[in-house]
Amino acid sequence: MSVDFLHPGEGAAIDTNASALEMRGIGKRFPGVVALDNVDFTLEPGKIHALMGENGAGKSTLIKIMAGVYGKDAGTVRMRGREVDIKSPRDSLKEGIKVVFQEIALISEFTVAENIFLEGYPTGRTGSIDWKKIRADSAALFNRIGFNVDPAARTGSLPVSQQQMVEIARALAHEARVVVMDEPTSSLTPNEVSLLFTVIRRLAALGIAVVYVSHKLDEVFEIADTVTVLRDGRHISTKPIGEHTNDTLIQDMIGRRIDNLFPRQRGAAGSKVALSVENLSTAKKLVDVSFEARAGEVLGFFGLMGAGRTELAKAIVGYDPIISGTVTVDGQRLAPHDTRTGVRLGIGLLTEDRKSEGLMGELPVYQNASLASLGAFARLGFVDKAKEHQAVQDYVDRFRIKTPSLFQQIKNLSGGNQQKVLISRWLMRGLKVIVVDEPTRGIDVGAKSEIFALIDRLAGEGLAVVMMTSEMPELLGLADRIAVMCEGRLTAIMPREEATQEKILNAAIG
Amino acid sequence: MSELTHTSAQKRFIGGQLLGSSQLVLGAILAVLCIAISIAAPQFYSEANIIAILRQCALVLIVASGMTMLIITAEVDLSVGASLAFVGCIGMAVLNSTHSLALGMLAALAFAGGVGLFNGLVVTRLRVNSLIATIGTMMMLQGGVYLFTREAVQNHNQLVSFTDLGAGYVGAVPVPVIIAALIFVVAYVTLRFTTLGRYLYAVGANEKAVRLSGLRSERLKLLAFIVTGLCVGVAGMILSSLMNAGQPTAGRGFELTVIAAVILGGTSLLGGRGSLFGTLLGVLVLKVIDNGIIILGWNQDLQMVVPGIVIILATYLDIIRNKANVR
Repeated sequence: MSVDFLHPGEGAAIDTNASALEMRGIGKRFPGVVALDNVDFTLEPGKIHALMGENGAGKSTLIKIMAGVYGKDAGTVRMRGREVDIKSPRDSLKEGIKVVFQEIALISEFTVAENIFLEGYPTGRTGSIDWKKIRADSAALFNRIGFNVDPAARTGSLPVSQQQMVEIARALAHEARVVVMDEPTSSLTPNEVSLLFTVIRRLAALGIAVVYVSHKLDEVFEIADTVTVLRDGRHISTKPIGEHTNDTLIQDMIGRRIDNLFPRQRGAAGSKVALSVENLSTAKKLVDVSFEARAGEVLGFFGLMGAGRTELAKAIVGYDPIISGTVTVDGQRLAPHDTRTGVRLGIGLLTEDRKSEGLMGELPVYQNASLASLGAFARLGFVDKAKEHQAVQDYVDRFRIKTPSLFQQIKNLSGGNQQKVLISRWLMRGLKVIVVDEPTRGIDVGAKSEIFALIDRLAGEGLAVVMMTSEMPELLGLADRIAVMCEGRLTAIMPREEATQEKILNAAIG
Repeated sequence: MSELTHTSAQKRFIGGQLLGSSQLVLGAILAVLCIAISIAAPQFYSEANIIAILRQCALVLIVASGMTMLIITAEVDLSVGASLAFVGCIGMAVLNSTHSLALGMLAALAFAGGVGLFNGLVVTRLRVNSLIATIGTMMMLQGGVYLFTREAVQNHNQLVSFTDLGAGYVGAVPVPVIIAALIFVVAYVTLRFTTLGRYLYAVGANEKAVRLSGLRSERLKLLAFIVTGLCVGVAGMILSSLMNAGQPTAGRGFELTVIAAVILGGTSLLGGRGSLFGTLLGVLVLKVIDNGIIILGWNQDLQMVVPGIVIILATYLDIIRNKANVR
């Protein structure tokens, strides 16, 4: 490969007036979900275009289609006026689209220079790789973006911010016309963010169209020229950033009023404190978190990606270690800090990651349901199967769990029914506090409302429900009180009546 | 859900546990083998030969019973062969110096159980992958046994009770077969009917879910390692009784026979799936092949070759059958 990357685009017959990338009527469905519905998205060379929306709005599906990770079901993609068919990440790169994902896809054992030229190493006369040229070319690329990374460094040893620069250099090596940055600042320090912004502006100055995917409003106002908002897989608006205010942007992202999807059956929450968390800190994320949850209430925790909700959920049930603070369940302190004590005191976690932390996929429904309460069906260590099956059958009937039989492997059930089985696992055990983390992740729209109704019922039966969610409608529809997290800290806690979407988002941005 | 579909599904599942998964294939293979060999060599069906086969099965089945539990928890122990030899030497040495079968037996169990405990601690505390950890233990034991004794530890006592352990009979049934049957039944009942058995499957199926449910997954794995070790202790004493000596060279490749039998029986190396009944069939298939090769007068080197082919074939048939089951 002899790419003249210092003078990209020269010599190609192109329509210089055309957009860098034009996506029209893009549609994409997954089983049970329409991820994108007739979405238009156009990028101009030299401009920075922010792509915004809540989790699940379709941002990542759209950029994965650009990157060739997903195929599209409908619509057309044009690069500089010419229709292109992107079938694979390789095609995407060939057409000049480079997506820098949040999870950086570099080979950590290789050097920086090796990663940059991964797709085609320049070779010398003998066919051996020309290492000198690779290093020199890499250095030249870093020069162009105005950021120096040692081409000989082992990639894995670099901080994320520098790995991003390697990815950007790779984009230049491939003469990318479009560079997509997917939530690039989620693990950067403020200092690194401003360096990144300098580099992004430089990319734009080189005539590259930059897509900036984020849900951080301040960053978008700082860097973007144009903003496109997606919501529920639909295109909502595309406007120059100057026409937006904080409020109009949030309005576009959240849209409709949503309260009525959640019929509330339960009465008011009691006053008895079921869970009390004081000054909780963990090594990884949480800083000095304190709150109380009362029997019969749903306490909703909101936060953007990386805010620390899952970390909090795992810490308060005793699954993850803590470095300071106390957790008290129903008046008794959670010590030693492990799940055995937690479950004994009556606190349990409904995990966000059903497959890897919840389900025993190969095992039948009944064994999945009774896992936490098996001791109650045993005499002298022998399981009374008839009693166990009857108890599971009761829950299958009560929650209308759709399964051909109790003996069906749980992996064959739908997401909603799997979730109901996992909720049964805890109810069979009998809890005082249930922590539900993203309870409707990966669940069809229809089944979602059933899960909501179940959560409502749990609180109605006197459990304290601590719900972690990134979905605003879920939060506003279900919670009695709303707590907001940002970067491991609790930034606000308010009754539902006083909460507005703006207030919540402001606290979440920190 | 109607009562009817419920019960029929239940029947299917129980039938499935007995004869489902790989067992059906394996049972068929066993039947075909027995029929084919006895047509070619009618003496296969003699009482003496059947008892000989069972006796050969006994050692493997004893250790395979523990190994099945261990593999169900998604771990494995490759040190059982090396441990088997070492245990025999130690048991014999203690027997020689104390003249007590009970103390010799106790020493053997303590040593083998200790090896299991060590493996278990390395895997659950140090979080070393069990394949690697137990290869390490295997090497330590293989070398260590020569530090203990350079040559076979001879039987100086000729205690009748010790000789009976390997060579004795109760009626027509060899003592090792009875011991193996007892251990098999205990392990079978544990896995099928007790909470412990259910937890072992659960740990193998999803360790994180087990931990979130308030159970101590590490302890369950540790227990499975220790049980496997204890089984090796019993087998090691029987082996040294049969050989009338503790042989440091015994047990080479034994771990592979045991693991092959367990895998052949349909227990998944990924954990959470498997049954002791399958393991029994697996042991029988391997030993019937061994026996067949001998009584047909074939080249004995085929004793390794044929089981290798059978393992690949049986696993492949299992994959085919699984695919056919997916609607």
